[in-house]
Amino acid sequence: MAGESDTFESVDWEETGGRFSTLSRRDRWALATVVGLLAAFVYDYAILPADRPTITVPVEWNVTQLDWLFVSTLLALLLYVAVPLYNNRRLTAYYWREFRKNRMAILSLVYLLVVFLIGVVGPLFLDKPVLAVERAYQPPVFTSVDAAVPVDCLGAVVEGRCQGTMAHPLGTTGDGKDILVLVVYGMQVSMKVGLISTLLVVTIGTAVGTVAAYGGGLVDELLMRYVDVQLVFPAFFLYLLLTYLFGGSLFMFIVIFGLTGWGSIARLVRSEALQRAEEEYITAARSAGAGTLYVIRRHLIPNVSNSVITAATLLIPGFILFEASLSFLSLGDPTVPSWGQVIATGRGDLSTAWWVSTFPGVFLFTTILAFNFMGDALRDALDPRQET
Amino acid sequence: MTRPLLDIEGLTKHYPITEGVLRNEVGRVRAVDGVSFTVDRGETLGLVGESGCGKSTAATAALRLEEPTDGRIVFDGADVTAFGDAELKRFRRRAQMVFQDPTSSFDPRMSIGESVAEPLRVHGMRDRAKRRRIVGDLLERVGLDAADMDRYPHEFSGGQKQRIGLARALVINPDLIVADEPVSALDVSVQADILDLIDRLQSAFGLAILVISHDMGVVREVCDRVAVMYLGEIVETASTEELFEDPKHPYTRALLASTPVADPRQRGQGASLSGDVPSPSDPPPGCRFHTRCPEVIPDESYDLDDATWRAVLNLRLRAESAGIDVAAVREYAAADDDDDTTAVDPAAVRAAIREEFDVPAELPDPDAEAAVAAALDRIVDGDVEAAADRLGEAFPTVCRRERPELVPTDTDLAAAEWRAIKGFRVWVATLVDESAETVTGRVRERCGEGADREGEVDRLAVRAAFRLPEPLSDSAAERAVGAAVDALLAGRAGDAADELYDAFGPLRESACHLG
Repeated sequence: MAGESDTFESVDWEETGGRFSTLSRRDRWALATVVGLLAAFVYDYAILPADRPTITVPVEWNVTQLDWLFVSTLLALLLYVAVPLYNNRRLTAYYWREFRKNRMAILSLVYLLVVFLIGVVGPLFLDKPVLAVERAYQPPVFTSVDAAVPVDCLGAVVEGRCQGTMAHPLGTTGDGKDILVLVVYGMQVSMKVGLISTLLVVTIGTAVGTVAAYGGGLVDELLMRYVDVQLVFPAFFLYLLLTYLFGGSLFMFIVIFGLTGWGSIARLVRSEALQRAEEEYITAARSAGAGTLYVIRRHLIPNVSNSVITAATLLIPGFILFEASLSFLSLGDPTVPSWGQVIATGRGDLSTAWWVSTFPGVFLFTTILAFNFMGDALRDALDPRQET
Repeated sequence: MTRPLLDIEGLTKHYPITEGVLRNEVGRVRAVDGVSFTVDRGETLGLVGESGCGKSTAATAALRLEEPTDGRIVFDGADVTAFGDAELKRFRRRAQMVFQDPTSSFDPRMSIGESVAEPLRVHGMRDRAKRRRIVGDLLERVGLDAADMDRYPHEFSGGQKQRIGLARALVINPDLIVADEPVSALDVSVQADILDLIDRLQSAFGLAILVISHDMGVVREVCDRVAVMYLGEIVETASTEELFEDPKHPYTRALLASTPVADPRQRGQGASLSGDVPSPSDPPPGCRFHTRCPEVIPDESYDLDDATWRAVLNLRLRAESAGIDVAAVREYAAADDDDDTTAVDPAAVRAAIREEFDVPAELPDPDAEAAVAAALDRIVDGDVEAAADRLGEAFPTVCRRERPELVPTDTDLAAAEWRAIKGFRVWVATLVDESAETVTGRVRERCGEGADREGEVDRLAVRAAFRLPEPLSDSAAERAVGAAVDALLAGRAGDAADELYDAFGPLRESACHLG
């Protein structure tokens, strides 16, 4: 066909391939990534001995199950949020102009980005805090505390008061663990909890909601009745039971609440998709010969994504707060330093060492607040019809 | 070639009305109820009718975007109703659709370039650069800029979007385009541009177009032939010229009369339609239009003019649907006299009812007057049902008793014969591309029951199988059908189809007792 000008009459449809895949270039990238990750996981799990770190360059990092999930989540966000935003620059610019109108949201976004980056990178460079009784109860820098409180004051003791030092800018706990390091580790825990669970919930909820809406009939009935059943399923008690049997684990928390929490998203998506399915562009795609999967993938999901993204930003703080509460009640994972856990350890010392509970508490509070602000602004920008 | 591109026969789309958990069917909405028409290559057929008459459903069912309940759709010699997934997809490439609402017919999350290229993608063109070249070229040809392809739907006006809609329909080079109210959402000034564009594209690419519209002006502008629909049925087909000059069906006349004419001397002419469109879930018996028809046929035993007859019939139909609220009429009559409602003079109530239905105070025909007076007495007594019975007995009409079917107006064919011929023709049309052996086999399969003792299928067997009486009441029709049956028995389905389409090409049809 070379040499001819390309016009619609010149296409030889007998020659043009009839087989067609609904996978876009991005989907193929995602598929390749998944395969790559799986291969790496199998290598790590089956071939490398458990105590050998998975990678040693640039940092030594023994990747855990949860880390694998987290890496997958980040790649998914990159491929299905960041790349589309970059590809549709004009639309992105429009949303950005809308979003920018809310100053608190901008502040929240910057704060969350900082927390996210520190949370992802920090633990790779900082050693996990260890028990060091001799450094217990050091006050934060620029503050002082009665010299009787710390076991051994690392800073200067002025007029019977122990001064905080830059060695432990936010002080230490009763175990002598550095609170700044704990806070950084807590950031990662919170991001893992918030992002992975939300991604699970959103993916399953969107898939179920759109298929139910577009499939209709028996498919719809079966899926939505299952959602009804799942919504009354006491995931919390399942978690308690498993914690009792196997001990608390963050991985278990994420998997249980991620796999059982998508009911409301599925309902939201379904009602939105039902409206979209009536639009003429869906009929147009069908009259062009597009199949069910194509219509769902290319038309329904992009068009319900606004309300899904909005709902997701409000789901994340819920998960973070829930994990913190469980950790506070010692129902969490004892091996990961989450904010809730640090707050719990400091609650007995509030009268003498106020900083132990306060700093993680402040971070927890501001993170939740920032997500809520951002969710509100995103809703205004993406989905102005939806009212609170 | 005389064979039409699209031959639709007896197309039906019913929506079940269900009740309860078990989805028991308690009724059916007869959105499209046995519609037949043909569209030739390069021809524009208009499908007109009021909103809710089923014309859009007919279009989507004809493209199998909704599964038809019944009927045959033959597209270029292949039976669309029998298509599997792969064949259906090939059919979709050749039959495209343009939509009414330019805003809702584009995905707001796709650039219009992507939207226009979507059919190319769906049909397997992977080369993105080539898609973009095709789309750019096409956008320029429909009067836009190739650079527009990266813009989003909300950045275009309604008229521009409709141009883009045409581009999207054209991009896979179809043979047929179904345009569902293509301009009804546009300003009048833009409508003309779009209609002109449709016309130019049609002549440039030899497209067959099915235009669906409620606007007689649009139909007159673009269509070669028109089919008028009322309540799920086609009531008249004719070439545009004939239809506008000499409408045969009262509904067509009423539609034409409702089109504004830019001539002050002709203002207010023609009868307007009274009453509401009946529900397609419970269509009126007999002629579906008789509940509103200004020319409903009076019973011969009475001496009443058309208007009076219509008024009496309206009274009867309302009484039958229990639509007369005696208490309200009583109040209305009382308001005139300032009396209290219980002591209203029955004569005043009767007069009020007559006034409401435009029935004269005294009918010219004494028998009719007696029947109306008796019925009114019963209504005043509160027994509307008895009144309905009395009126029904006294004023029968052929329009309610019998259902008229489409018949060609210029032949002597009876409705049943015409139906049989159309059924035969559409069956033959599905065989035109088959080999002689296959045709013979299919004929034997279809007409085997009437075969003679040696098992040979002869003329009589074919005619019996398709309920074609011998001879037909029209001699020209008889010749054509005879020749077609002979050709078919010889295995030449193509010739048979040609005979039939030559003789019964786009005939003028009408379904009314008046004809």
